[in-house]
Amino acid sequence: MCALSHKSGQSLIIISKQARTSNVPEPEYDRCGEPAMKENSDGKLSVKTMSSLRKDILPMISGRVAAAISGALIYGLEPLEEIRLRAEKPLVLQNWSREWFIGSDGLPSAKPAGSFIVTQEDIRTTLELMSENSIYAYQDEIKNGFITIRGGHRVGIAGRAVLDGESIKNIKDISGLNIRISNQIFGCSSKVLKYLIKNAADIYNTLIISPPQCGKTTILRDIARNISNGVPELGFKGVKVAIVDERSEIAAMLRGVPQNDVGLRTDVLDGCPKSIGMKMMIRSMSPKVIITDEIGNDGDREAVHSVLNAGIRIITTAHGYNISELKSRREVLMLLEDKVFERYIVLDDSDGPGTLSEVVDGTDMRVIWGSGRHVS
Amino acid sequence: MFLKVLGSIIVLLSSSFLGYILSRDCSKRPQQLRSLQNLLQMFENQISYSSDVLAEVFERISRAGGETGIFFRTTVDLLKDGSAANASEAWEKAVRKCIGRTALKRDDEQILLSFGKSLGNTDLEGQIKNIRLSLGQLALQVEKAEENRKKNESMYKSLGVLGGLALVIILI
Repeated sequence: MCALSHKSGQSLIIISKQARTSNVPEPEYDRCGEPAMKENSDGKLSVKTMSSLRKDILPMISGRVAAAISGALIYGLEPLEEIRLRAEKPLVLQNWSREWFIGSDGLPSAKPAGSFIVTQEDIRTTLELMSENSIYAYQDEIKNGFITIRGGHRVGIAGRAVLDGESIKNIKDISGLNIRISNQIFGCSSKVLKYLIKNAADIYNTLIISPPQCGKTTILRDIARNISNGVPELGFKGVKVAIVDERSEIAAMLRGVPQNDVGLRTDVLDGCPKSIGMKMMIRSMSPKVIITDEIGNDGDREAVHSVLNAGIRIITTAHGYNISELKSRREVLMLLEDKVFERYIVLDDSDGPGTLSEVVDGTDMRVIWGSGRHVS
Repeated sequence: MFLKVLGSIIVLLSSSFLGYILSRDCSKRPQQLRSLQNLLQMFENQISYSSDVLAEVFERISRAGGETGIFFRTTVDLLKDGSAANASEAWEKAVRKCIGRTALKRDDEQILLSFGKSLGNTDLEGQIKNIRLSLGQLALQVEKAEENRKKNESMYKSLGVLGGLALVIILI
């Protein structure tokens, strides 16, 4: 089993204490410019979790709420997955194990009663901070229901929609913010990579199957980074990668700069529907590999075929618990029947998010690695 | 006799000069109000056609804008060093701090302060409405200031010369 469980070491806790006393984000923590993967003494690839909670997120949250969060973080809640602000409702922190409230004593608590309450004012201030005092500049994003902030974290917005005819013009009276913390886990795809790589400069067409919240996108991002940069440990040279990032989750572009490291030979087409985007990238960027998230909409099958016809490899993901479940979805089923994919990689969260469940050879449905739970 | 003539000339010159300076101050206010109008117009254009964030836009404006650019400059500084929580607070502080360094009056200050109230915290439409409102108010102020200037400018000038002459006559 490949557990990508996160390490929260001693050093982290010390830093949290500093953050509490000074209330200033710790500058030395997070995001170092080190190479993503390093070899351990035993030659195995190490896994490194990087999130920039203190540097990128806390300064963007209304002071009162940020102080409460950084106070509670001392008690080892990291890595957090979500921070939820709802008007006149308790503040909720979600980590991999469960949801937490912040009690009146500042301690994380499991019960909502008497816990820290977020006000409407907090939400307004937070949104102002997140938009760098320029809500007008983020209007297009707000219209779509989320904004991306520095560090690649996405903030979902709920409120009252202002309509302009059929389309949404704006969201006002914001009542809820959901800050989804994007944890880049460098090296999380290392167990998977060797099943993807065909030879020094080629990979297999791959479909990653995983239930929600099991690290699909995180692994996809790490794969993109690795095949773009090259994997010397596996003798793989880097190739040109094109990411069609319909939901802005893989690269998390902020004003034209990917906030997540997606590799040095990677081009990103942001916010474009997959079926159109894949065809555009074939023509415009001449990639060797196209990577996209959550396949299965109408038109995706045709787009995948045009990718393959152009001699380009594809790596994509689909929601699901196993391969047989995918067959209930028409567009994906057709892709399965066309034998488009040479590798299926199934993930679950039996041992933390991103646990590798099995690897299947798509040409003969042979289980290459795994528990054999797969039903063909 | 020679000294008397020289003294009278010096008195006459300096009083005229004083008058000239006072009259020039009168024309400063309409000038600055106009440049403020230009800067606000620039702000509107910049946020309509590029979706740059407030700090970037203000920085560009402050580089373009003479004496009144100081409000924009100070706002950016206050935002950057973290002494203001949001844009409207920073603007308010900047206006209160820098108004003394300009020729602007109390009425003008009120307009600037109300402009800051919704700075950066509404959508584009709201921002533009706010800017237009302030531009309209400033235009009225310009008119008033212009009238004032016409009246006072010539008055100060002639008062300077005539006052000088009167002084000379009295002294002689």
